[in-house]
Amino acid sequence: MSWAAHQFEVYAVQAHLPKKMRGKVSFWGIWLGDFTPDFLSKFWVYGITINGRRYGASIPEQWHRGWPGMGFTHTLFAGALIAIGLWLWKRNRALTVGYLLGYAAHALTDVNDSVGTMLLFPFTTLNWSARTWAYAATTDGGKYLDGAAYYSSLGLVMDLFWLFVVLGSWRVLSREHWRTSIVPADPHVWSWFARFMPERALLALYRATFFYGVCRMVAWSTWAHIFARPEIEGIPRQGYPFDLSWTGPWWLEARSLPHVNPLIVIPAALVMLAALYWVISRLWEPMGKRDPRVVAVEA
Amino acid sequence: MLDGSGSDRGRQLTRREEITWYGLAAVTYVVAGILEKGLLNWIVGPIWLIAFVWFGPLITDRLRRRR
Repeated sequence: MSWAAHQFEVYAVQAHLPKKMRGKVSFWGIWLGDFTPDFLSKFWVYGITINGRRYGASIPEQWHRGWPGMGFTHTLFAGALIAIGLWLWKRNRALTVGYLLGYAAHALTDVNDSVGTMLLFPFTTLNWSARTWAYAATTDGGKYLDGAAYYSSLGLVMDLFWLFVVLGSWRVLSREHWRTSIVPADPHVWSWFARFMPERALLALYRATFFYGVCRMVAWSTWAHIFARPEIEGIPRQGYPFDLSWTGPWWLEARSLPHVNPLIVIPAALVMLAALYWVISRLWEPMGKRDPRVVAVEA
Repeated sequence: MLDGSGSDRGRQLTRREEITWYGLAAVTYVVAGILEKGLLNWIVGPIWLIAFVWFGPLITDRLRRRR
């Protein structure tokens, strides 16, 4: 799974919208879409322990990304279904398009770990995994081992990649961008928050997901490599060792599910992302004609 | 723009104040997160930042006025 990458990609999507959509796609839609897959599935991956007894998935990767399981929550199919439901319910183009883009970003980013996602669900339940780093959620290791493995592997590089994508488009975090592009796309949501909060707090609310991503990346990496005292293959160590090789780290068995050839996964994911942008671009104007907010503004 | 109060409660931060409050929030959150991983979640993180940026200047403004 990916960690802070999911926080950074919310802003990366916002910063790389097609020209005609800039200032018109809901930030909260992207945010909600990006967080939905894990909202729906992750609570049971690590499980909870009460009175020394663990309650949770017995095979975390099967529950999280497989079928049978909750793997359908990490598919473009589920994202499209929920987006269609949102559109039929709200007739809100900004929210629907944002939601779909955020959802797709999450599902496509997660093809990088050793379990991957069912990209072509429901046509096939095979997982699409590039096996870039090890999926490390285990019943006994919990979040700690998962975090240590992720931030010792190419997962850390993935987080840094998305961080630099956002920093390369730093204006997306500026007050001016928030005022001119973020607020106009979600006027009712921001107006509602403004009833309770001053503008500087609203701006902090907008930047908060980025803040959380940076802090969790730094905190987990620092803990894993400086403060943790693991015992690996019977040898006590100060900090978990880094391993930036493919499907690392070596000190943990990468979990896996039946999957397609990893070599086709990244190209396929990029093609799907391009196809999604193309479809959304084609639907943009027709949706605008059926969205009462857009019609009212253009009238 | 969105705050109609007109009071110092809603004043904008200078660039220096922004760097100070965001930086302070980040450093304290990272340290607290290392000590207690349970704090590193998508609810506490945003609340932590908003609390610093909202109430930090409010408290320092009041302290300055009292002096």
